[in-house]
Amino acid sequence: MSSLPHTTGAGAPIETRLPTGVKDFLPVKAAQLEYLQATLRTVFTRWGFRPVIPASLEELAVLELGLGGDLREKTFRFDDRQSGRLVAFPPDITPQVARIAATRLHDLPLPYRLCYSGRVLRHAEQRLGKEREIWQAGVELIGLESPEADAEMIAMTVEGLLAVGAKEFTIDVGQVAFLRGILDGLPLPPAVALELRTAIAAKDATGLQRLLDAHPVSDRQRAEVLALPRLFGGFDTLERAAAVVRNDVSRRALDNLHRVIDVLGVYGVDDYVTVDLGELRGFDYHTGVIFQGFLTGFGRAVCSGGRYDGLTARYGLPAPATGFAFNLFNLLFALGGDLDGRGEDSIDILLFCPAADKAPAQRLAAALRRQGYSVARDIIARDREASLDYARRMHFRTLLIMNETNDGLTRIHLADGRETSLSLQAVLDGECRL
Amino acid sequence: MSDWITFALPKGRIMQDSMALLGKIGITCPEMDGESRKLVFENAVDRTRFMAVRAQDVPTYVEHGCADLGVVGKDTLLEHDCDLYEPLDLRFGYCRLVVAEPKVLRDGDDPAGWSNIRVATKYPNVTERYFAAKGVQVEVIKLYGSIELAPLVGLAERIVDLVSTGGTLRENGLVEVETICEVTSRLIVNRASLKTKHRRIAAIIAGLEQVVEDAPRISA
Repeated sequence: MSSLPHTTGAGAPIETRLPTGVKDFLPVKAAQLEYLQATLRTVFTRWGFRPVIPASLEELAVLELGLGGDLREKTFRFDDRQSGRLVAFPPDITPQVARIAATRLHDLPLPYRLCYSGRVLRHAEQRLGKEREIWQAGVELIGLESPEADAEMIAMTVEGLLAVGAKEFTIDVGQVAFLRGILDGLPLPPAVALELRTAIAAKDATGLQRLLDAHPVSDRQRAEVLALPRLFGGFDTLERAAAVVRNDVSRRALDNLHRVIDVLGVYGVDDYVTVDLGELRGFDYHTGVIFQGFLTGFGRAVCSGGRYDGLTARYGLPAPATGFAFNLFNLLFALGGDLDGRGEDSIDILLFCPAADKAPAQRLAAALRRQGYSVARDIIARDREASLDYARRMHFRTLLIMNETNDGLTRIHLADGRETSLSLQAVLDGECRL
Repeated sequence: MSDWITFALPKGRIMQDSMALLGKIGITCPEMDGESRKLVFENAVDRTRFMAVRAQDVPTYVEHGCADLGVVGKDTLLEHDCDLYEPLDLRFGYCRLVVAEPKVLRDGDDPAGWSNIRVATKYPNVTERYFAAKGVQVEVIKLYGSIELAPLVGLAERIVDLVSTGGTLRENGLVEVETICEVTSRLIVNRASLKTKHRRIAAIIAGLEQVVEDAPRISA
């Protein structure tokens, strides 16, 4: 987790520990993260989304307009020496995009399709898997309330996961309005209502039964609540829910979900979708369809999103909205070895030149770069074996060696050690594939 | 391997009880009957795997997806605030989490008057939450075993511990003052597994629910 102390020459060890919950990414992993970011960005662009780059500091008071209580508590905040006011590092990018849409883009016609990628900071418990830095890549679709817009979000997450090479995954879809229809009418004191929500979130059927036994609720309400822990699975879940639920709000929410699923069928992504009507993540923040992406064998969601119709109004633009964000660190770890070889984690060529005159090697490097190769010059004066060792350890694909007279080349293919002699002119002319 | 289902079970008695219960819905592991020092057992035909771990570690294995399902006492779940599903009370392993103190202290002691007390326990989080809710300031001393010893040697006046019959308390001159909660074994499920393997897992939950409903209640 943290780096070991190291020494500089004869000096004392230097403590180089990082704070918990943040980490550095070294070239191989960094290249994979950038690959994920670029690949998802390509998908976002294909669906017509344009980038925004929000500021990395906000006035706390402004930022808090768009934050739920949960994220408010996790915000890193401090004094701004210039203004004397509190400023904050955003714990989430969505409120920033909502602010930008409401205050900077409002003269343009809706809907807005915006995408972003960036790192956010959150206070977190000091436990494994509780990161304080999160790299998000996501989109916001502002100004559309139709089921087709919700389906667009879900279809994009499926396409994103397929594009980055995820093999087995599910986008798990819920509907907050469905839960609201069940929970809003319950005659429970606030503390009990909170306990009930905790039990629903844990799918704790036993706990729910005990709570309902102790409080006066109607038979209809009791049946609706007790059904929640088991209302997950395939699309048949909607039929099972319809058989139990009698209130109008929940029934309308089910109709809405049916229409979303119909569009997912048209896009051909419905095989990747499961349903969980007992999911109440973001219950206070979301207003309709919600979803999370899970890869088989990885315990945390790699992306999450949903409808949040109330948010932009807090910045002065009442508009329906939906969106999602990938958690790139989670995605990186969930994909694991499937990402090997994806991203540019190796450089094509190390060019070694033992002769005193380096100009021909420099000209060759420039020519190869123009041909599209990534080329590093081994500038250090050393022998061929040392250069080869360096190339191996730094994951180069090929070592190119100029001969002593600067008129011929040897190529060493580092994967298998194969050596080939090449004509310098042929390489300069782009006639050799390296 | 992803169509396998992995269980994390606490070594010992609860593991036996769990396997007996799972046996009733056709989930078995013949390999477990033989060699006993292994930590992982497989039933390759049914594509199920069983890991024997420490009870306190069960939620960790399940939360991180190393196991899809687990069986663990409610006490452990209360102590470690884990992000996982807890769909079923399996109704075995019944005991209670209680506050206890020496009999000599109990005479003339009124828990309503407690304001600043010292408590030894294996459950520091549960203890702090419980007394905080009552507005009692508490100094918690975390121990890993033989909690009953603490009041005898003056480490703490009171303890919070799990009791089943209360025999150990009595033998050490302690009496129960308050029950914090009742504890039974729970089935827990990894969040991602419930979604990505929903067919198999929903069937397991439904099957166990039926078996538990049909069984006579052991508790209370």
